[in-house]
Amino acid sequence: MSTQSSAGQLDAKALARARRAAIRARARRIRRTVAGFSAALFSAAFLGIYVQLATGHDPALSRTAATATQVSGSSATKSASSAKSPSSESSSAAKSSSSESSSAAETPSGESSAGSEESSGVSAVTTKQS
Amino acid sequence: MATPQTALLATATGPHLYWIASRAAGIVALLLSSASVCIGLLMGGRLVKGRKPDLRVAHEALSLATLAAIAIHGLTLLGDAYVHPSLGDIAIPFLGSYKTFWTSTGIVAFWALALLGLSYYARTRIGAQRWRKLHRFTALAWILGVVHALGEGTDAGQSWFLAMTAIGVVPALALLASRWLSAPSIPQPGGAR
Repeated sequence: MSTQSSAGQLDAKALARARRAAIRARARRIRRTVAGFSAALFSAAFLGIYVQLATGHDPALSRTAATATQVSGSSATKSASSAKSPSSESSSAAKSSSSESSSAAETPSGESSAGSEESSGVSAVTTKQS
Repeated sequence: MATPQTALLATATGPHLYWIASRAAGIVALLLSSASVCIGLLMGGRLVKGRKPDLRVAHEALSLATLAAIAIHGLTLLGDAYVHPSLGDIAIPFLGSYKTFWTSTGIVAFWALALLGLSYYARTRIGAQRWRKLHRFTALAWILGVVHALGEGTDAGQSWFLAMTAIGVVPALALLASRWLSAPSIPQPGGAR
């Protein structure tokens, strides 16, 4: 009789242990899923923004281009686009009209300046990334 | 082997890598915090039956991942050559000169989220009831974070960003509104953490 009850107690303990182990394993799996999901999300966002920037569609740099166009006028912008920095040359791989002017306005630090020799006093524009 | 185009792209985007990383981390933080708020409200509002231990683990993991993402969001800015903030600029509200109001909103949101979130591990000292009351303010910190993202985010005007934010934020806001509208005056034992 007592042997039976102790065996039953052992079974119950083993069952409880197994349940606890299952709960712990599930918690570990959830934590791993969240970590993996976060890393994947970060990678996707990084890649998306990187491509956006590299193709000249970045919102901050597009605003730069718009400001440069507004202030310096079309002729100044054209002359500025011929004076590209090495980094902006590569940015101008994008073939859109907006990216053409934005690439002209970029400097490596993200600070943008568009200037023309003809109208340097008027067209020198400095804008910021946000 | 890198092609000339790849090399040129790397040259162009190289100086912006910290900025890109910061933006990406900010997006991750926004989405993870929204998911965490959703799960917390689902748990507290008794809207999901069963699976509560799993939800609590997910809520905790998402909250910790959010804090990590915000830390990355701020710390990577230290390497940005344009804004070039000091540690104080990104950690102390109203200290930096760059978009002071919006930046401060984000800093306050981070500290509030960190303090209110991590207080979970000290709830026995604080007292469960008091801690539960405190934890409700996490939603306000999250709202501050959303305001920071929409006010200062570089991509805030982009349709993809607005759509993504809406997908993450609107369900949480709806749950929050339903919770506030049907707020029980007496805190329920064993409610939301």
